[in-house]
Amino acid sequence: MSEVTRDMLMAYADGQLDADERATVETALTTNPDAAAEVALLQRQTDAIKTLFAPAGAEAVPARLKPRRLAAELSRRRANSWGWAAAAIVLVGLGLGAGWFARPLFDARPASASLIADAVNAHTVYVAENRHAVEVASNDSEHLSTWLSNRLATPLGMPDLNAQGFTLVGGRLLPGEPDKGGRAAQLMYENAAKDRITIYVTAALPDRQPAYQFTQYEGAEAFYWANARITCTVVGTLPEAQMKAVAGAVYDQLTEGDVSADRMYRG
Amino acid sequence: MDQFLDQVEACVPALRRYARALTRNADLADDLVQDCLERAISRRGLFRPSGPVRAWLFTILLNLYRNALRSSHRRGETVDIDAVPEPSTPAPQPGHIALAEMARAIDTLPLEQKEALLLVALEGLPYAEAAGILKVPMGTLMSRLGRARATLRVITGSPVEPHLRTVK
Repeated sequence: MSEVTRDMLMAYADGQLDADERATVETALTTNPDAAAEVALLQRQTDAIKTLFAPAGAEAVPARLKPRRLAAELSRRRANSWGWAAAAIVLVGLGLGAGWFARPLFDARPASASLIADAVNAHTVYVAENRHAVEVASNDSEHLSTWLSNRLATPLGMPDLNAQGFTLVGGRLLPGEPDKGGRAAQLMYENAAKDRITIYVTAALPDRQPAYQFTQYEGAEAFYWANARITCTVVGTLPEAQMKAVAGAVYDQLTEGDVSADRMYRG
Repeated sequence: MDQFLDQVEACVPALRRYARALTRNADLADDLVQDCLERAISRRGLFRPSGPVRAWLFTILLNLYRNALRSSHRRGETVDIDAVPEPSTPAPQPGHIALAEMARAIDTLPLEQKEALLLVALEGLPYAEAAGILKVPMGTLMSRLGRARATLRVITGSPVEPHLRTVK
C-alpha cells in the first residue's frame, strides 16, 4: 500500500501505467476502498470531460479545415505574392523614372505641401465651430474683403459660390509661416445641408510660380493652386466631383484678370 | 501521395475537439485550428519527419491560443461573470457528475492546468507527449494534472476521500 501514491492512482486512472505498475495498483485497490473510490472518481471526471467535449471531434470537418485545400490555397497565395512582388518592382521602377522626369514639376511647388496641410488644419479647426466659426461675418463682406486684402497685400474678392449652393459665412485672418507670406486669410462657405468648405489664401510665394494640385489630405479634399499673386487652397469633405466644381468656381473668380495665371488643371 | 498532409488531416478532429474545449466557442476554435493548420503546412519544412505530427500540431495550436489570449488580455477584455463558479452542491447521485458543473469547473482552472488536463483526459495523450507539447518536465505535468483534478473534485462537489491523504 505504501508504494501506491496519489500520482500512481491518477496515472492508473489515466491508463498511463505499464503492466507491472498496473498490477501493483490493482492489488492495492482490492484492499483499499478509499483508493478504489479515488480511482473511480478520477475516471468519472474523465468520462464527464469526454462526454462534454468529444462530440466536437466527431463533427464533419468543414472544408476550410481540409489540409489539402489549405495547402493548395497557401501555394496559390504564395504564387500571387510573387506576382505582387514583381508588380511592385515594376511600379517602383516606373515611379523612379516618372519621378526623375517630373523633377521640374515638384521643384516648382516646394511649399504647397505645407500650405495644404495648414489649410486643412485650419479647415478642421474652424468648421467645427458654430458660434465662432468666423471672425468677421459675411454681412460685413466689404470690410472683410478690404481688411484681408490689406493684410495679404493683394486684392482679395469674396468668390460668389451661389451657383454651387454655397453662401459666405465669413472670414478670418490666420498667422502663416514667414516664408510663405506670414499671413493667411480663411473664407468659410456653407450650403443648405450645413456642409462647410473653406478657402485658404496667402500672398504669392517668393518664387511666384504657378502650380496646381488636387489632393486628399487627412480625410479632406484639397485643391491647391498658386499664381504670381496668391496661393489658394479650397478644402472640404464633399464628394470629389462637387469639390472640383466648387474649386473650379473659386479658381475662375480669384484668378480673374490675372494674366499670369495658366489654365487650370482639370484632372 | 502526400504523407504529411494525410497525417495532418488525421489530427484535425482532435485539434478541433481540443480547441473547442479550450475556447468553449465553436467559431473561435475552428479559426484557431485553421491558423494552426496554415502555419503547420507553410512551415512543414521545419518539421522533423521522425517526430509525431500530432504533438507538433498541438504545440502550434497552443502557442496560437496563448498568443491570442495574451493580446485579448492586452485589449482589456473582461472576465465573464458566468465563468465564476457558484457554490457547489453535492452531486445528485453517486457516480454522476453534473456536466454543466464540470464545464464551469474546467473554465475556472488556471490555463496551464486546463491545457494539461484536456490533453490527457480528453485527448488521451501519454504523459510524456503531453509534457513535450507543454514543454514542461513530466513531474510538472503530473502536479498540474493533480491540482486540476483536485479543483474539479471540490467544485463539482464530488465526495472527498479524507483517508487518502495518508496514502502518500
